[in-house]
Amino acid sequence: MVKTSFPLLILIFFSSFLAYGTEPFRVFKTPKGQSFEGQAVGYEGQTFILSNKSGKFFKVPLNALSKEDQTYLISGARLNRIPKGMPTKLPSSSSEPTKAGDGDTVSTKGIDFHSQIMPILVQNCNECHQAPYEKNGRIKKPKAGLRFDNYKMLMQGFGDDPVVIPGDDEGSLLMEVVTLPANDDMIMPPKGDPLSAEQISLLRRWILEGATEKPSGRVVTTAASPTAATAEASDSDEIRKSPPPIKVTFRPGSFFSHVPVLLGVSLEEAMAKAAESKPKPGEPIDFDKHVLPILEERCNDCHHAPFDRSGRLVNPKASLRFDSFVEVMKGNLDGPVIVANDLEKSRLYSVLNLPEDDDLFMPPKGGPVEAEKIDIIKRWISEGAQPSKNSISASKGGIPAPDEPVSFNHHILPLFEKKCLECHGAPYVRNSRTIKPKAGLRLDTYEWVIKGNLDGMIVTPGDHTDSTLYSVVTLDKEDPEIMPPKGGPLVEDEITMIKRWILEGASEKPAATAADPNAAPKLTSAKPVLATTNSKTSILDIISKRLSSPSKSSLKAAEKTGALVRPLSEKSPLVRAEFSSFSSEVQDSNLGAFSGIKNNISHLDVSRTKITDKTLSVAGGYPNLTWISARNTKVSDGGLKYLSKLKFLQYLNLSGTQVSDKGMRDLASIKTLNEIYLWNSKVTESGVEKLRQNLPDAKIIF
Amino acid sequence: MKLSPNTIDELGRREFIANAAKACLGVGLMPMAGSYIHNSVKALTPGARPAAARHVIYLNMSGAMSHLDTFGPKPNNPDIQGPVESIATSADGVILSENLPLTAQHMHNSALIKTMVTSQGAHMQASYLMHTSYLKRGTIVHPTFGSWVSKLSGPINRTIPRNVKIGGGGGGAGFLEAEHGALPIGNPKSGLANSAMASYLDQESFGNRITMAEKLNVNFTAQYQQKQVRAYSNLYKDAIKLMDSDDLNAFDITKEPKAMHDLYGTSNFGQGCLLARRLVENKVRYIEVSRGGWDTHGNNFEAVANNCADVDKALGALLLDLEMRGLLKETLVVLTSEFGRTPNINARDGRDHWPYCFTAFMAGGGVKGGTSYGETDDRGRLPSEGKPIKPEDLNATIAYLLGLPLNDVQYSPSGRPFTVAHKGEPLFDVIA
Repeated sequence: MVKTSFPLLILIFFSSFLAYGTEPFRVFKTPKGQSFEGQAVGYEGQTFILSNKSGKFFKVPLNALSKEDQTYLISGARLNRIPKGMPTKLPSSSSEPTKAGDGDTVSTKGIDFHSQIMPILVQNCNECHQAPYEKNGRIKKPKAGLRFDNYKMLMQGFGDDPVVIPGDDEGSLLMEVVTLPANDDMIMPPKGDPLSAEQISLLRRWILEGATEKPSGRVVTTAASPTAATAEASDSDEIRKSPPPIKVTFRPGSFFSHVPVLLGVSLEEAMAKAAESKPKPGEPIDFDKHVLPILEERCNDCHHAPFDRSGRLVNPKASLRFDSFVEVMKGNLDGPVIVANDLEKSRLYSVLNLPEDDDLFMPPKGGPVEAEKIDIIKRWISEGAQPSKNSISASKGGIPAPDEPVSFNHHILPLFEKKCLECHGAPYVRNSRTIKPKAGLRLDTYEWVIKGNLDGMIVTPGDHTDSTLYSVVTLDKEDPEIMPPKGGPLVEDEITMIKRWILEGASEKPAATAADPNAAPKLTSAKPVLATTNSKTSILDIISKRLSSPSKSSLKAAEKTGALVRPLSEKSPLVRAEFSSFSSEVQDSNLGAFSGIKNNISHLDVSRTKITDKTLSVAGGYPNLTWISARNTKVSDGGLKYLSKLKFLQYLNLSGTQVSDKGMRDLASIKTLNEIYLWNSKVTESGVEKLRQNLPDAKIIF
Repeated sequence: MKLSPNTIDELGRREFIANAAKACLGVGLMPMAGSYIHNSVKALTPGARPAAARHVIYLNMSGAMSHLDTFGPKPNNPDIQGPVESIATSADGVILSENLPLTAQHMHNSALIKTMVTSQGAHMQASYLMHTSYLKRGTIVHPTFGSWVSKLSGPINRTIPRNVKIGGGGGGAGFLEAEHGALPIGNPKSGLANSAMASYLDQESFGNRITMAEKLNVNFTAQYQQKQVRAYSNLYKDAIKLMDSDDLNAFDITKEPKAMHDLYGTSNFGQGCLLARRLVENKVRYIEVSRGGWDTHGNNFEAVANNCADVDKALGALLLDLEMRGLLKETLVVLTSEFGRTPNINARDGRDHWPYCFTAFMAGGGVKGGTSYGETDDRGRLPSEGKPIKPEDLNATIAYLLGLPLNDVQYSPSGRPFTVAHKGEPLFDVIA
């Protein structure tokens, strides 16, 4: 042990010296007089990362510091004394058991939950698995009912089914989910990178050492677990390496290299757009018309507006944004990238002209920008780098004035970016999984918005009442279908703006005149008649379209009490919940397990169980129930009134129950019923006769 | 990259390749549904739609039922029909023989396939084909249909098996895992063998034994806290729980009231149907009830009438009982045999083997009630209208109604691919 750890100590000391030794400790001050002693260890955009003497990191925005500190940091960054980006190694010695100093004493005592395990959980799990909290007026509960915010809750797991089993790493669900292959649906954490091999081995060792809160005194090396070595080896191979991107180029004129025309764009439009982006000889360069398309095509992949991708803010590279005139002119920490009339100082222009093997050559991927396009940029700078005439860039992202026509690109798209694209963006690959837009609906370009999804178009130009886009944002706040589903509904101005855009014709270019949001919708074409909802399958189809599939964890939670919960079909979000095994031991309380999937239950089978009317009162709260079998239970008349809330109930089996004629009045009000089974109950001929009068089309068997 | 009208009008790459393949290689369609093309490819993808039926009761008329004297009478041809008369049913235009008066009352919920054909004329081989959709071979044992159902539909019930066979042997899982094979029940009246507590044990002494066993195991389980060990003890616990639980009562038809026994009849087949209904209530997926005695080479008319008395009573009772309980909608009842019998009456007043044409009866879950598919020629010899329906087509129809993936390939140990209904196609004419 001593022999092997000695070179290791030197190595770690040396590497940490390399990484952090370049900047001395100094006292940073804010304009308000607060001070902080530390060293600068990195920067991201305009945020500097400072480290105090105990090795803890602090993120400090540049403009929160005094002028003197700002100049110091900027010069440090310019001279590359301060490395770019977040430091990769955590300097804190307490979080790594093999670190120098007290490393040996820690490992002889075993792994400490609070200093070694908890940081992993905080970093990777607590976003979803923590104590319930309130956000935007809604209580956020921990996912799957699992809380990892303290030792007690972690060990509790699902209650009688813990996720951590001391001494059994293979049996511990926690271990299982973090070691799954990265493309497995169940891998945890579901977002971001999988746990590192060190973190996994730390977790495994902790579990093998007994999963105690205080160090257990037992020391287990990872080799003690037979699977550990192989699992780790495959982890490091499978999970961490992303395949190198394949660069595909086609020679000009090749069959494969023609310009793709988006669906829904007519040939003329595409041609016009392509033609417009080229200035005619003698025409002054217009930023929006000529320069922006070039930037959009070649630069905006990296120099885009910051956007939120699955909970993480993706910032533009080098803090440079080339998505609008204002942003282009802003430049970054190193100064402006465009200086009017000065090509040499305009870095946007100069990086395009560097030799292709230069590190700073732009764009780094996809080959150099074509000469004629560089020429357009050059001309624009020489002409004074002016914004477009008639530009509405200034109001981008805001709400247009009442008399200003709504622009898709400047008003609608920014709103979508803020509120919708997290779910309805372009498909992307994360952890080698392809994340597709929800409901097959993309809202990231005009073409996609107009195209809609498999359910049809979401926008009917001129008629907001027929536009799904408008109706889903104007639903009641409590409605499960309201969009956006998280983060509160759109504000009234935003809704009015969408309404106006639809009324103005829902075109990509702003309309000539602004529409009156209170005007009656203009009908452009006859509406297709909605399919009738009389057959069972079509009702299920209609409900399915409005729902999203239940998560695996909520299905698992629903099966806790022995229920069998299965989707009606593979892709259906609707499930059938039944108690197939030991049904005679099922009681009212067992239905509590379904609370997480109550919108998804369309079929509920509680036949031959010990349930009572209480269960029907719970079932009355499952809005999408179409099918209930309460055959051979103690259900009586008292429970039937709860079912009248169900809007889609078609099948009701009450044979062998205590219901009588009295309860038939409640059933008579459920007009959707078309099959009722009352055999072997207390219902009499006269009761059924009355029910038949009220529900003439239903099949009633008694 | 230049944008010109020419490039925009160009065929897409896939379109181009598809056209080229059509023109040059004679390929008409991409092989989307395995080796066969179907008019409703989407329907064949796994789980594309909610299943219409969740349970199957398969009534196997072993020994080959005479179709002319049961479900496919020819009232206008006394030469071949013999003394058997036809009767009207609850479905317009569908007739049955007079041997099935109770079943006739349920024809509005049922469908007939009159153009069943099979390639095998010997009992064993034909029955094998009927049950597995594959021809009997020396090199492999194919799974029976119930085993496929068990394999593909996944667990529904932890405590009792998914696949049960009442009366008669067979029903093995073939190359699938043994757990999917049918649980055989020889005599429906005696229930499940070896599942009751031994008579010399009372609850207390049994409890003592279990406690003792747990004590002996305590060191072992403490030392090996592993999945397999836990799984084993869970199995043990489940088994003990099952012995006490009501689920086991599913197999005990003595729990049924006398009226039910009277309704189904006291014949072995009737009792088997009663047991089958109890098992459906307990969510068993596939139950086959077998009824022999149909090999009527001699004295056909008397034997068939005798057999039908049992079968008609039991089948009528089963359909009525399922309907009253609201279970018929999701339970598919199928009645057929391995092949038919000759239209010509032989010298011993009997009928011989006839694989070229026979009938299948389906009722309940997902079946288009009151239909009669296909027609036979005047002499009842060969299908004359509608396509011939092979055993694998019938099985594909059942699998379709159960929502099973028809194109899900399971490999035998030697790596050969098999599907639930071989190359059968569902008969959509009898599906609602």
